[in-house]
Amino acid sequence: MNAIAQGIMTETGHDEAGPLLDVRGLRTEFVTGAGTVRAVNDVSLTVRRGQVLGVVGESGSGKSVTARSILRMVPEPGRITGGEVQFEGRDLLALSEPDMRALRGSEIAMVFQDPQSALNPVLTVGYQIAEALIVHGAGKRTARSRALDLLRQVGIPDAERRIDDYPHQFSGGMRQRVVIAIALAGSPSLLIADEPTTALDVTIQAQILRLLGRLRDELGIAVLMITHDMGVVAETCDDVVVMYGGRVVEQGPVEVVFARQEHPYTADLLKAMPRLDTGAQVRLPAIPGMPPDPAALPPGCAFHPRCRLAEDQCRTAVPGLTPQGGKGQSAACWVTGRGVPIPPLDAVPGEAGARAGTGGAPLLQVRDLRVDVGSGRRGLFGRPEPVYAVDGVSLSVAGGETLGLVGESGCGKSTLARTIVGINRPAAGEVTVGGAAAGTPGGARALRSAVQYVFQDPYASLNPRRTIRQSLDEALEMRGVPRPERAAEASALLRRVGLNDTHLDRYPHAFSGGQRQRIGIARALAVEPKVLICDEPVSALDVSIQAQIINLLESLRDELGLGYLFIAHDLSVVRHLSDRVAVMYLGKIVETGPVDTVYTTPQHPYTTALLSSSPAPETTARERDRIVLTGDLPSPKDPPSGCRFRTRCPIGPLAHPERRVCVEREPVLTETPAGQLAACHFAGEMAELAGRR
Amino acid sequence: MTTIDTTGGTPESAAPRRGGDGALRRYLAALRTPRGAAGAGLLGALVLLALLAPALFPGGYDEQGSGGLAGASAAHWMGTDELGRDILARTVYGLRTDLSLLLTAVPASAVIGTLMGLSGVLSRWLGAGMQRLLDVILGFPGIVLGMSVVLVIGTGWLALFASILVIGLPLFGRQARAGLQIEQEREYVLAARVLGVRRRTVMTRHVLPNIVDPIVVNAAVYMVVAIFIEAGLSIVGLGIQPPIPSLGAMLNTGARYLEVHPAYVMGPGLVLLLLTLAFTLLSNALNKAVLRK
Repeated sequence: MNAIAQGIMTETGHDEAGPLLDVRGLRTEFVTGAGTVRAVNDVSLTVRRGQVLGVVGESGSGKSVTARSILRMVPEPGRITGGEVQFEGRDLLALSEPDMRALRGSEIAMVFQDPQSALNPVLTVGYQIAEALIVHGAGKRTARSRALDLLRQVGIPDAERRIDDYPHQFSGGMRQRVVIAIALAGSPSLLIADEPTTALDVTIQAQILRLLGRLRDELGIAVLMITHDMGVVAETCDDVVVMYGGRVVEQGPVEVVFARQEHPYTADLLKAMPRLDTGAQVRLPAIPGMPPDPAALPPGCAFHPRCRLAEDQCRTAVPGLTPQGGKGQSAACWVTGRGVPIPPLDAVPGEAGARAGTGGAPLLQVRDLRVDVGSGRRGLFGRPEPVYAVDGVSLSVAGGETLGLVGESGCGKSTLARTIVGINRPAAGEVTVGGAAAGTPGGARALRSAVQYVFQDPYASLNPRRTIRQSLDEALEMRGVPRPERAAEASALLRRVGLNDTHLDRYPHAFSGGQRQRIGIARALAVEPKVLICDEPVSALDVSIQAQIINLLESLRDELGLGYLFIAHDLSVVRHLSDRVAVMYLGKIVETGPVDTVYTTPQHPYTTALLSSSPAPETTARERDRIVLTGDLPSPKDPPSGCRFRTRCPIGPLAHPERRVCVEREPVLTETPAGQLAACHFAGEMAELAGRR
Repeated sequence: MTTIDTTGGTPESAAPRRGGDGALRRYLAALRTPRGAAGAGLLGALVLLALLAPALFPGGYDEQGSGGLAGASAAHWMGTDELGRDILARTVYGLRTDLSLLLTAVPASAVIGTLMGLSGVLSRWLGAGMQRLLDVILGFPGIVLGMSVVLVIGTGWLALFASILVIGLPLFGRQARAGLQIEQEREYVLAARVLGVRRRTVMTRHVLPNIVDPIVVNAAVYMVVAIFIEAGLSIVGLGIQPPIPSLGAMLNTGARYLEVHPAYVMGPGLVLLLLTLAFTLLSNALNKAVLRK
């Protein structure tokens, strides 16, 4: 399959493009001791030539198993029990294993989620790409030159030199490019990408998505993209398939589905996502409950326990996928199938009046904090080199107020948070709580009772060997609650976060991710803190659960007058929750101010690029000019001179070589005409370039 | 475990026990599996046999009869050794010696090794120093190490005890340190620190219960290794000294009469086999139970 032939095929026009892959009635089951798990249940989907099909769903929806079933690579003890997979006129399920093996990699290739483990760490990337070529019959010499071409094609700068590097010498985004190069080695006509950008930062995600789009346009490669992110679907896919409980509940062209949903799950999921362009006037309309356990699916429509339209028929009979709505759209719903429109959700008011007054004296103050995360190991000569992950950061949080802290991984936001609560030691600067410095013994105690931490990973933040009661008791004991009163306090705490007494004596493994996060919040609240530091509290959760936790955090803040330092990489979540926002880059805050001002008129080019890179769940956003940053975050070991952002800045010396000031002088946070503080010599220059209002 | 009473108590006294309770319950569950039950039953029978030795053989282990190296008879079921002593009686008393070593030296080694591994909590230097010390121990082959112990404190039960203890230290010390390093970064450990829980409590409540599983499994595995350390040192004559019997020492002497009197080595050999089998079954069952958690 070569590029020219592909090009001719795509010229037939997008609408007429015939099916490349046609899956009909696919069923995959896992026979386990606890019974048969129907992970993929009667799934049908079509990938058209040169098109991108998005398969979207929450954990346990069967989207990944569907992809692996297509390649007949279902992990043990899974078995494909029915259906057919037509690929260019052949039924893949009927092929012999040698034929199937020849097809994998050459005609259908796969890109995995985690570029870290998809590459062999002891082989050079060039060898790994060449290996893919040699497997499919290339000579050694041609394999190497083709490997070089592929590396250039996926945008690895300086490919001649880097071809003999090992995977660890590449950053995460670059590694994912190498993985894509390997997938392209066999000139496949279909690429199956399983959450290709989930492990990557938003600016890197934008690079990879742009690359996949380019491959489709230039080589005519069709892509089956598996994702949980509606924003990624809206921005990159031509068609979308929404999965829930092992079945397809809705499918159709992206423009049609995003304009008008025919399944209540799709409709409510889109409504439950926080948006980049509106603040927190209303609570998110969260879908109640949680995604079903694939081993114990509810009878009838799997969504009925969470559905606001459910009626008797939904509880007993499974609805089939029938054409309804716009052109090419179909959905599996008894109610909308009769032509009943999905009623709009009642807006839940944000209890704006009930909100405890924000502002006042700041409860938590951080001044010029520097944190050295160097190994402390001495070199052969001289003193150890300090590595400042946080380099001179100041911020403050008042009661009832949320300060959002955004930045990419490695920018130092978690280190900052951990230093505030005393897990890491500051190298300079100070943290004060209600006026007392945290460095002093009295201040340390004040800090612990006033500032608590909500962790990112709900599966790691609770001791698996201790019941919920024991975990809460420990915190209550620290507050000095006498033992007889702890039982009542613990159940009050659980009720406060939406759980109940029956949960108290269970172990963490009995809970879902969202419930564990609630328990983590309850433990943090047990000492009656005034400030909560939330370190990516929703990023490990399913989309429908995210909204529930965000709502919980909001109502706790408003009822208890808590101040939040809310750390996240998801800009729309920060927008929804925050009053003020601080953008962090390589250990420094580059822009900070009221959230609406920063989001609508970003002054620092990095903020502009972050906002522009964030995928939005709407198809109109596709047309905007996106600012995709080049390169990766530099190492804090050796930060660039002058402005730290200059190595990636679209308005810095890269684009304007005459701007020496960016190299020579470090910008400081100064007030801009728009009202917020930004640390840029040319602040505001990109505000009008931003794709959004 | 789930009532309010048990969750009470001061953290210092109640927490470690409570963590242990949870672990203990899983270990007991392991003993209910077929493999675990077989291992525990076999070990129980051997311990019972060893305990009952004085009752079963009122003559003791060094009652000399008339004929040396006699074959099996009604009076001596497995015959007699070169001095006319009953081989069966000596085997059972030898088992007594071996069990007394294993069941004390291995747990002692596990506890001391674990403490050495966890010493890094007190100071980074201490922890690193302990690891280097363990590296030194690991650098010597077991037999050489045992010989040096014998050189210092002379032969006998105590020397074997010390050898088994010292040789096992790196196994447990490294396991504990690896576990500690993983647990220290766990979010629930950080959460406890942010709450202001004392370091000692964090260790006993959050770290130790979560690293104890591999250590217990290793201890069961090390029981088997310890049997061979005893046998090995005894075979080169550095173990238990005559006339006290040990299984290894009997194998050592019996090997000389292998051709004339094969039953001499078969008795202690069979008991060693059963002992090894019992501990292997137990460690397998524990390992499975721990993995399944």
